[in-house]
Amino acid sequence: MSAAPRPDTPPRLEPFRLRGANFNLLVLRLLDPRPEAVVPAIGDQFRRAPGFLRFAPVVLGLADLEVPPDQVDFPGLIAGLRGLEIVPIGTTGGTPEMRNAAMAYGLPPIRSAGGKESEEPAPAPTAAAPAEPPASAPPPPPQPAGAMRPTMVVDQPVRAGQRVWAQGCDLIVTATVNAGGEVIADGNIHVYGALRGRAIAGGGDNAEARIFAQNFDPELISIAGYYAVREGLAGAPIGRAVQVRLTGERMRFDPIG
Amino acid sequence: MAQVVVVTSGKGGVGKTTSSAAFATGLAQRGKKTVVIDFDVGLRNLDLIMGVERRVVFDIVNVIQGEARLNQALIRDKRVETLSILPASQTRDKDALTKEGVQKIIEELAKEFDYILCDSPAGIEKGALLALYFADQAIVVTNPEVSSVRDSDRILGVLQSRSKRAEEKRDPVKEHLLVTRFDPARVERGEMLKLEDIQEILSIPLLGVIPESESVLRASNTGTPVIMDGESNAGQAYADAVARFLGEEKPHRFLEPERKGLFKRLFGGRAA
Ligand SMILES: Nc1ncnc2c1ncn2[C@@H]1O[C@H](COP(=O)(O)OP(=O)(O)OP(=O)(O)O)[C@@H](O)[C@H]1O
Ligand SMILES: [Mg+2]
Repeated sequence: MSAAPRPDTPPRLEPFRLRGANFNLLVLRLLDPRPEAVVPAIGDQFRRAPGFLRFAPVVLGLADLEVPPDQVDFPGLIAGLRGLEIVPIGTTGGTPEMRNAAMAYGLPPIRSAGGKESEEPAPAPTAAAPAEPPASAPPPPPQPAGAMRPTMVVDQPVRAGQRVWAQGCDLIVTATVNAGGEVIADGNIHVYGALRGRAIAGGGDNAEARIFAQNFDPELISIAGYYAVREGLAGAPIGRAVQVRLTGERMRFDPIG
Repeated sequence: MAQVVVVTSGKGGVGKTTSSAAFATGLAQRGKKTVVIDFDVGLRNLDLIMGVERRVVFDIVNVIQGEARLNQALIRDKRVETLSILPASQTRDKDALTKEGVQKIIEELAKEFDYILCDSPAGIEKGALLALYFADQAIVVTNPEVSSVRDSDRILGVLQSRSKRAEEKRDPVKEHLLVTRFDPARVERGEMLKLEDIQEILSIPLLGVIPESESVLRASNTGTPVIMDGESNAGQAYADAVARFLGEEKPHRFLEPERKGLFKRLFGGRAA
């Protein structure tokens, strides 16, 4: 479960753990309260993946800290992380006293939307970084089977006023998305009924995401922040089975099937 | 076990109150102990349609605020023995209804009645939410036009997320589609949505189609629920819908325009 420990670091002494959470923020679970232990270790880890966490907001996980709150150097941690261009924005877990101590330094407790922190580790930064020459890089850790988020499947119509959000995964709707309904996914969106509402794929900036609809009749389409409203879809094959994708900055609508 | 049935629509003026009165009367005519509650506090229409407006002394708000007992506010129908009406107040506003107050009333009514019908106000705000909150079943009233269908779609979403059943993660509210003010001639001319289109969008089981009919206005003017007018097509369509609600199989009627053409006028009843 560790995030690619360096070969010379004994696994038990890993100074932090990085996990994804279902509010789509990264949680940095502190295993050690000392900035001088945590900050350099993070620096080492992420030097191999330049830019991976740059200016990324993170939530500090406090549950694993087994010291009294007054022994945690929050100002030191915040400053150290900011020095690495990582921006702590709040806390999760830990005792109420611990959360209060963090709050005094501007880190409010953040409740995750589903109420529970996800157990999957975030993707290891080495996997995302082509930077380092293979010779000096340690072998990537085996991907645990649970690391892939399963596709979200919705079997009911998505009705006017409803919003379905598939965080960190693809979305399949086997019914219709009605006018006034909204489907959002970080990955691809498949609608096996009519798509009459809004579909927003590639949340964030996943420009590879696509939208598929059996009967394409949307109010709004968006991929990776590029969007088209109904008026802009005059040339699209309305009423057909359609695939939508980005080519460069342009949206392409191709009939399928 | 008493069944709580909300008659709802989102959009206003589509025929909720007309349908509540018809269903309550129809269920009672079939021997079910039925009470119909007017949730439209401030407007109060149901008692007019039911023809009991002169008998209203206390209303649901009086009961909730402890100014009257439930039995004092209930009006027993004079035509159908097993039917009662709990009227709304005309003078108070919707905030006079509270969830706790409504719950107490429904619990008490459940001891005596088989069916508790809730005639919802329009909209998706507080009054409508309260009317649907305790529902076991919902009759979603829709007219064959885009805005009405859209609002029904919205209210179905609300039923699935904000009813008591949804909050307690029990079996979902059982949904029925009732299309009213259906004018086959206008549908044929493309001025109104086709039945198939409504069903395709809302995708819930069709309970009935009530034709647009002058008999509805006549009935409400005389304070007689239209289902008591066995001559009228709207009355018959409501009777069919009540039968389906109770599990009977009935073919849908009045879906095609009436052909009052030359042929019919020439040969009249002797054509066959
Ligand atoms: N099948 C029908 N044919 C003709 N007129 C109808 C029919 N159904 C309802 N109406 C008329 O439509 C109007 C609105 O009906 P009704 O009061 O039942 O609607 P509602 O949904 O309860 O309205 P509100 O949202 O204001 O409570 C009334 O004038 C009624 O007579
Ligand atoms: Mg009404």
